[in-house]
Amino acid sequence: MMNLSRSVALISLFLLPLLSFSFSVDNPTDRRVLVLLDDLSLKSSHSIFFNTLKSRGFDLDFKLAEDSKLALQRYGQYLYDGLIIFAPSTERLGGSLDSKSIADFVDSGRDLILSADTSASDLIRGIATECGVDFDEDSSAMVIDHTSFSVSDVDGDHTLIAADDLVKSDVILGKTKIEAPVLFRGVAHSLNPTNNLVLKVLSASPSAYSANPSSKLSSPPQLTGSAISLVSVMQARNNARVVISGSLQLFSDRLIRSGVQKAGSPNQYEKSGNEQFVTELSKWVFHERGHLKAGSLVHHRVGETDEPAIYRIKDDLEFSVEIYEWSGKSWEPYVANDVQVQFYMMSPYVLKTLSTDKKGLFYTSFKVPDVYGVFQFKVEYEKLGYSTLSLSKQIPVRPYRHNEYERFIPTAYPYYGACFTTMAGFFVFSFVYLYHKYLPIPISLSIPASCNESSCLDSLTLLPTDQIFLRSSSTISVSVDSEQGNLIEAITL
Amino acid sequence: MVKSTSKDAQDLFRSLRSAYSATPTNLKIIDLYVVFAVFTALIQVAYMALVGSFPFNSFLSGVLSCIGTAVLAVCLRIQVNKENKEFKDLAPERAFADFVLCNLVLHLVIINFLG
Repeated sequence: MMNLSRSVALISLFLLPLLSFSFSVDNPTDRRVLVLLDDLSLKSSHSIFFNTLKSRGFDLDFKLAEDSKLALQRYGQYLYDGLIIFAPSTERLGGSLDSKSIADFVDSGRDLILSADTSASDLIRGIATECGVDFDEDSSAMVIDHTSFSVSDVDGDHTLIAADDLVKSDVILGKTKIEAPVLFRGVAHSLNPTNNLVLKVLSASPSAYSANPSSKLSSPPQLTGSAISLVSVMQARNNARVVISGSLQLFSDRLIRSGVQKAGSPNQYEKSGNEQFVTELSKWVFHERGHLKAGSLVHHRVGETDEPAIYRIKDDLEFSVEIYEWSGKSWEPYVANDVQVQFYMMSPYVLKTLSTDKKGLFYTSFKVPDVYGVFQFKVEYEKLGYSTLSLSKQIPVRPYRHNEYERFIPTAYPYYGACFTTMAGFFVFSFVYLYHKYLPIPISLSIPASCNESSCLDSLTLLPTDQIFLRSSSTISVSVDSEQGNLIEAITL
Repeated sequence: MVKSTSKDAQDLFRSLRSAYSATPTNLKIIDLYVVFAVFTALIQVAYMALVGSFPFNSFLSGVLSCIGTAVLAVCLRIQVNKENKEFKDLAPERAFADFVLCNLVLHLVIINFLG
């Protein structure tokens, strides 16, 4: 067994460099990212963002979105682990890329950062729709907010939003709180209510709305208030992560460097929150944070160390699983108090919260329920921002063997007694029934004097005394004293 | 309607008793045996109500052995009763042998189930 697993591990080590994994649990570093731009000048105007990625070891490959040699995969293998699309106005992607191949890229577990902007093309809108995000249909609309705009917005149309309604999740946005508001200028989007994988990271304030800033507002805007999402993230069921931003400028050096003061607020910040926001968000989207791996799911009876092939009902067992989180450089022990294990057969019979030793080991012990069948240990862990863990291990549970039941229970002694009493009663009854003597029942008869023994018994009249009824079917044996003509004794049978 | 009095009830019981005294002795023995079995069953049910149903299989086997015994005894009584014309062709010896065999099977099951 050990030899087999060792050789499998050895083979997979040889195979690893040949395969391009998405986020591989075994090989999470050395990641290549394709950056699609609609203008190569974005490379310098957004250099701070790109440089933070490079400094974290990402291999960025800048391409024009309309480059005819674009390809995400070659010979069926993906060339990149991540994709950044900073090409809001591109109508058609070059090479073999289209919205379907990008959806396939995400379906293969790879990550995507998609940024739209005002006048986003149908292509970008289509990709966003695939991810559960709908941009405002009016192509000239922008997010306008007359109360939480940035005072540095010199145009006066209040489209430079100072947004501070961030999702409260340490794993998506890092442990350090983003103090300064995030500057945003771009298009609004809303989340598809049927998609429960997508969530708002940066929301607009309740006073925001989406409209064309240069024209008069003739009809009520379609998207208003907190329904507007400025930046959203989606984690697919295969743990592929997607960031969708309504503003390309959010990532730009200009907004990253600029100071910020929210209108009506005395707090003035030297630098906007953009740099921290985009850096932390890119760490999350490229799995440098919040990616969990689970291993060595172990269970055994209390007091034993080997995993049994089968449990008996009411066995006490110990269960443990190791969970680690990828920190960008190494696997760190995951610490949480909300990991649960289910002992599951059609529905969970046992649901226990696991304790942790803070070194990555989660453990608990419980009693196997009084039900036999094929069970599963299940760990289904879904937590905001973290990758989904779904482990299961099958284990059968058998009933008691015939000789494992408890014997001679003091409470049951009366029942035992009753059984043996009944048996004794049966014996005694049989004896009595077989050997009892027929007791005579005396009756008196008056017999006519003329009667002799043989002739008149048929015509005997039975005169029952007051206590005795004779049925017509009773056999009577009679002894008659013929001398005196009187009956002496009769018995019934 | 004639109003019934306690004297009527006494008369009724007296007539029942005198009628029963004419029952053949073997049937009386069976009746006594049935009463014994039912009484034992009732004691167990009362005990179960007192201490709870924990060794439920033991309780079941205890009570069912009594009930089974009573049922088999009643069957025997039906078969050996001379007044019962339905079984007039069945020898009382044969009826008793059946009774013994059924009891053996019953008690075999009961002992297995007693736990």
